[in-house]
Amino acid sequence: MLGQLVTSGIAIGATYALMALAMVIIYKTSEVLNFAQGDMAMLSAFVAYMLLSDYGLGFVTSFTIALAFAFALGAFLEFAFLRRAKEPNLLGLIIITLGLEMMLYGVASWRWGADQKDFPFPVSDFEVHQLGGDVVISDLNLVTLGVAFALMILLFLFFRYTKVGVAMKATQQNQQAARLMGIRVGRIMMLTWGMSAVVGACAAFLIASTDTLDPNLMWTPQLKGFSAAVLGGMTSLVGAVLGGFILGVVENLFGGYVSVEFKSVVAFAVIVLILCVKPSGLFAKHYVRKV
Amino acid sequence: MKKLLILAAVIAALSVAGAAWAGPVQGVTDTEIKIGQWGPQTGPAALWGAVARGTGVYFDLINAEGGINGRKIKYYMRDDGYNPNRTKAIAKELYENEKIWGFACGVGTSPGMAVMPYIIKNNIPWVGMATGSPHWTQPPKKTIFGVYPLYPDEAQILTSYAIDTLGKKKIAFFYQNDDYGKGGLEGCLRELKKRGMTLAADVPVEVGETDLASHVMKLKKAGADAVIMWVYPKHAAIMLGTSAKLGYRPQWMACSTLSDVALMFKITKGLWKGMIFGNFAELPDSTNKLMLKYHRAQQKYAPKERWGVFFYAGFGFVEPMVEGIKRAGKDLSVDSFVKAMETLKDFQGIMGPITYSAERRQGIKQVFLAKCEPDIMMVKGKKITYGKGKRLSGWLKLD
Repeated sequence: MLGQLVTSGIAIGATYALMALAMVIIYKTSEVLNFAQGDMAMLSAFVAYMLLSDYGLGFVTSFTIALAFAFALGAFLEFAFLRRAKEPNLLGLIIITLGLEMMLYGVASWRWGADQKDFPFPVSDFEVHQLGGDVVISDLNLVTLGVAFALMILLFLFFRYTKVGVAMKATQQNQQAARLMGIRVGRIMMLTWGMSAVVGACAAFLIASTDTLDPNLMWTPQLKGFSAAVLGGMTSLVGAVLGGFILGVVENLFGGYVSVEFKSVVAFAVIVLILCVKPSGLFAKHYVRKV
Repeated sequence: MKKLLILAAVIAALSVAGAAWAGPVQGVTDTEIKIGQWGPQTGPAALWGAVARGTGVYFDLINAEGGINGRKIKYYMRDDGYNPNRTKAIAKELYENEKIWGFACGVGTSPGMAVMPYIIKNNIPWVGMATGSPHWTQPPKKTIFGVYPLYPDEAQILTSYAIDTLGKKKIAFFYQNDDYGKGGLEGCLRELKKRGMTLAADVPVEVGETDLASHVMKLKKAGADAVIMWVYPKHAAIMLGTSAKLGYRPQWMACSTLSDVALMFKITKGLWKGMIFGNFAELPDSTNKLMLKYHRAQQKYAPKERWGVFFYAGFGFVEPMVEGIKRAGKDLSVDSFVKAMETLKDFQGIMGPITYSAERRQGIKQVFLAKCEPDIMMVKGKKITYGKGKRLSGWLKLD
């Protein structure tokens, strides 16, 4: 049982890792906690579903269009709502994201209704591989792991070695100075939100294939992603991913050996614990406030 | 002239006396009865919003046929998002502002519990709440009439079937960790205790949980050969998917809240095959005359709706209310309605036989069991496999 719990924990941890990555991208650039993360992703999943079932398009086409939609949605939300905030302080911006979350949820419910839907996916969760001793891992789990790692590495390289990536970090450290240095802060923010939405959408497609597709799809994954990001460090990409895996495994072990009834509490207990013990997260460097 | 004045005075006196005799009944006029319903049209339980919309179509049908005793039904549907605070506000608004006469159905145990004290205090008729919780009818209240068979009873019936007919030895229970799930658990434990057996595994799940690997491992470790599910459709789907993946294949059984077999088959990607589930209403492809009539009404008044069990449950839960109003006659008041309802004996629409009496407010005490067997249909020239229910029993009741 231990082996399976750990394996399943890593598998589900990969989805938490993706959500955590999405949240960290925005946090790294603007210190805003994006509560609309989950529903931006959910809406993209619905768009993919619509393309797949109503228009009968293939997987590659539908997913590509849906990801492009996600990017556009993220950029649009930043441009149209976040940026318009008058004299925004951090709390105000976070509240705006809460409002956006409700709007997106409403749009999805209105357009597609509340009936659970079945999200088709090219990779099956039932094709399993025996890892020895009764432990199995499915094709879908492997794909999710692959996507999580690939994105983590890509984003890591992006932030460290590309001009735009460095510009994003600069924007987070000091927006005024960044502007003075010639960085188009507005464009950076739109790009950040667009990228974050795309990562979130990837998570949503993978989650929708094991869960059922309905407007509440990303409610819990977002919370778990947030918990994973807090655990790993809100400014660390690698931390977010590792945080996701750790959370997935810890949850499963708790559910299997301690209490299946209180399994859902683990993610929240983690948030409280980390904020009390090591608020910057396990893997992030703790930056003293900039002068 | 004097004679005319005396005649006028007599007529005036009689009409005043007549009016005082009848007494104004809120929500009832000679031409109209006002009935309201709350339901989750948005939010996590919006799947069951179909019930309230179904009732709307049922009333459209009745009004098209002339109403009840010449009175047409004016229907008020409100969205409470499954939030008991909103339900309370809605009940108050409908009763005090819109001046409705009674409430029909209403999805959700917690929302219903929030408004029950208000309904009792104001003596408002309330029929057919869309939940099998025992709270409504035990102990019985004057104006509240339950229709949905009780969860503990249904669980008991499923448990007996598993042991007697299917020969299962190790029964496990997978349930939502709230009133609804625990209601089912109670019935299962009751039946097992009667036979001197114990539950192989007791596995609760929180509403927000989306990963069920540890839940499946617990069931697998216990070696249960039959698992009864008392959860939301979402969790049923994830449970079946995760179990299939981890190679665990017991006999699955489910509560009637999961009896929308076409939907469940679809969202479980076909794993619903072989599921044995309880039913409180006819199966969607039933050839029962009323079912056919209601289906035609749905196609006429709400062509975009799906003909699923939650939708036509909105008809079935309200059938006894309409019958009660009919039997009360022209003189419709809360008291005459209650008396009329108490005369219903084995009244049957598209659900089980409904009986009320002076002491009994639980209308239906029976369910029938069905098994999911897939069938093929042609849609736009393509063959689609869909979930179909095959009846396994008649209307079963507890002794």
